[in-house]
Amino acid sequence: MTTIGAAGRVGQYTLDNGLRLVTAAASTGQVTAVNLWYGVGSRHEVPGRTGFAHLFEHLMFQGSGNVSKGEHFEEIERLGGDINASTSSDRTNYYETVPEHALDRVLWLEADRLETLRDGMTQEVLDNQRDVVKNERRQRYDNQPYGTALERILRLAYPEGHPYHHPTIGSMADLDAADLDYVKSFHKAHYGPDNCVLTVVSDLDPEDVLARVEKYFGSIPARDFVPEAPDASLGAPLGGPVRDAVTETVPAAGVFIGYRVPPYGEREFDAVHLASAVLGQGQGSRLYRSLVVDRPIAADDGGAAADILPFRYTDSLLLVNMLAREGVDGDVLEEAVREEIAKLASGVTEEELERARAVMERDHLQSISSPAGLADSISSCTQLFDDPELAYTWPRRWDDITAEEVRAAAERLLVDDNLLVVRFDPEESSEAETLQADAEANAAGAS
Amino acid sequence: MPQTRPPLGAVASYSFPKPQRVTVGGGTVVAIDVPGQRLVSLRLVHPHGGAVEPLDAMGVNVLTSEVLEDGPDGNSSLAPALERHGAEWMSRVNWDGFITGLDAPANRVNEAVRLFADAVRRPALNPDDVVRRREQLLERFWLEAATAGTLAMRSLGGQLFTGRYATPLGGGPVRLADITPETVASFHAESIASVAGTLVVVGDLDGIDLEELGKTVFGDAASVPERESSVPAPPPGELPRILIVDRPGSVQSALVIAHRAPSRSQVDLPRAEGISEVLGGMFTSRLNMELRERLGYTYGAGSRFDLRRDSGVFFMSTQVEADTTAHSVTSSLEQVAELRESGVTEEELTAVRESNTVGLPVSYSTARSLAGALVDMVVHDLPDDHVDRNRAGYERLTKESLDSAATEYLHPEEAVVVVVGDADRLRQPLTDTGIGPVEVRDPESLWS
Repeated sequence: MTTIGAAGRVGQYTLDNGLRLVTAAASTGQVTAVNLWYGVGSRHEVPGRTGFAHLFEHLMFQGSGNVSKGEHFEEIERLGGDINASTSSDRTNYYETVPEHALDRVLWLEADRLETLRDGMTQEVLDNQRDVVKNERRQRYDNQPYGTALERILRLAYPEGHPYHHPTIGSMADLDAADLDYVKSFHKAHYGPDNCVLTVVSDLDPEDVLARVEKYFGSIPARDFVPEAPDASLGAPLGGPVRDAVTETVPAAGVFIGYRVPPYGEREFDAVHLASAVLGQGQGSRLYRSLVVDRPIAADDGGAAADILPFRYTDSLLLVNMLAREGVDGDVLEEAVREEIAKLASGVTEEELERARAVMERDHLQSISSPAGLADSISSCTQLFDDPELAYTWPRRWDDITAEEVRAAAERLLVDDNLLVVRFDPEESSEAETLQADAEANAAGAS
Repeated sequence: MPQTRPPLGAVASYSFPKPQRVTVGGGTVVAIDVPGQRLVSLRLVHPHGGAVEPLDAMGVNVLTSEVLEDGPDGNSSLAPALERHGAEWMSRVNWDGFITGLDAPANRVNEAVRLFADAVRRPALNPDDVVRRREQLLERFWLEAATAGTLAMRSLGGQLFTGRYATPLGGGPVRLADITPETVASFHAESIASVAGTLVVVGDLDGIDLEELGKTVFGDAASVPERESSVPAPPPGELPRILIVDRPGSVQSALVIAHRAPSRSQVDLPRAEGISEVLGGMFTSRLNMELRERLGYTYGAGSRFDLRRDSGVFFMSTQVEADTTAHSVTSSLEQVAELRESGVTEEELTAVRESNTVGLPVSYSTARSLAGALVDMVVHDLPDDHVDRNRAGYERLTKESLDSAATEYLHPEEAVVVVVGDADRLRQPLTDTGIGPVEVRDPESLWS
């Protein structure tokens, strides 16, 4: 075990088996947030196995060597704790927030599924969770208006065979193909202490936390083989504009626009992030002022039209999404959105930049204001950048980015040959006509 | 690693922080200091919610709440002004309260609160802004209701109540259109501008003068008038019954199985919420274990009470693969029947008791959650030690008290089953369940 450094607000340690532990103080008492980031996500999936990292995340709650199916949830809920997990392209995280006296129990539960998940896995459990995940897909994608937007965006943004070409949820066919042997081999390949960052936010002495983590995780061996992640480099530019036009049952035309931008963590990423806030974060943003308030041709989204999908290991995506007002043609909205985006290359004002920084800092403070949020942010900064302190200081990255840098980034990146568009249009030209048509179809007894 | 699970440590005793109370003019500031919490949550509570709206002004609370965002200068100028201070405006209307507020960095609270007070007390309320917001809300009703679960929840009120609750809180999709800029102005003048309300403040209060905050926010507004309420009648119709809201082509169905419940002050909260938790309040509750973890029909299933000042609703909800709809409904009802008949297990009793007692430090680990608890206390006239009293109630729970809660509060024989899904596919299997009469409606015919 080595102590890397315990300066500042966090304690940082690495166990002999490679597990990285970070400790930090909670702002309210008697509570402990535990957060584990495993460096495995949908980017590690191979063709024919899409959706597997996420299905696997479900299986991690289904019992391990010393814990029966459902027991992990039961233990945490009985403590009044919060518990869940999530999977993205870059990582899988697992987290619990519990009263402080339960820390040992949580660490033991996490250690048990890390070390012995394979002993608890059965075909029955796999079949059940596959059905659950297929229903998650139906609920979030297939039965949801515009639900397939992200899937379509990724398909356009990254070429066939690229590890970010598919969404984390995966395809129904691939989910059907998952088998028990593959589950076990996936666990062996990716779930080792050497691929994990564990963050504990509490009022406890960091050395005390370290001793407990050492007790439960210290004897788990590191992986004997570290699989190589699929190549996520991009040989060619996007070659836009590329588009996917969908006509289906949606309540209004929807415009989804994307641009490839630099990987998460690069300075130009931060410049584009600020550009996205100028453009579409908050009610002072350009898209909100122009298309919701002044014209107004876009549905009121409260000022959430633009954001960034941050990817660490390949180009990230700047995404813009607006829905058309009643009677507004999708083409009119799309043209207006693209015009606003294009204007960024002419420059942003200092006042706009200040507002963008304030909005982004506020969102960051909001995200670390709970013990669980702070723990997640610390795990992220440690896993992706090997610097837990960034969880506290991230907004300072924006302080010295100038208006000219933001403008230049927009001029270089937010251009047509880097553009993708996914357009949803209702089957009729307006919502009113669609409803009318539905009513007539139903009255006539059609299906 | 050790093969036996470690025992839990000793439970530390927990008390909800005692709030400071400062009376300033006609209002009261209620505050909790959380040193180190740099994001301060402020909430101004006006105890005037949708429930007391006149029937010719349904949605006026929600519309007014939206128009406040246009600010004292109109034209959607409030949020940008606050954004420059790193502050976030929030406004929320529920059946019993009109709540506005801010989350702001502690060092910027004083400036942000001046803007906030102007926004609440002296908004421009330009007629153009009111009309624009109203039209946006009307359109948003159907944008949101395109999601099956949202449509199911919005369809519920008219099945359980007459009067105000039969129309969704926002007044959409029909009645809101009748609200004029004049109606908004007079509602605001009478119920918001001239009523001080209660200001909730939670966060690092170092350097924040609560009395000054109160002066800024309350000005010379008067104290809150007495509230009156009456229990709304149910609509006619046989119970139990099934309503299918047609959504052609749906690959999943959104289900809500609901019945009326007593008001918040009439229920014994730990017993009522405790039995709902056993049925559907947790991941490991019966509904989720059956529909998700055993049958694989859904991503999740649950239940809860929506308890208001004058009445309440109990409901179970889930979204299931279309072909499993009828079986999901009968399975859910069987879970309720089983719970009423055989009561809770020792494990369930322990889970409910412990999660609501030892888990309190988790529930109240953020400024927002502490502020939420204080708002709840203000809206429902609860004492400052409400959380601790409630915890004592959970500690006293026994198998007998939870079993009796199942028969007292869960009434499947009075339920309405709302199913949003493909009617052509669902009508026959749902009729075959024999639960009750089945009616099919198009969504746009539900409200007039």
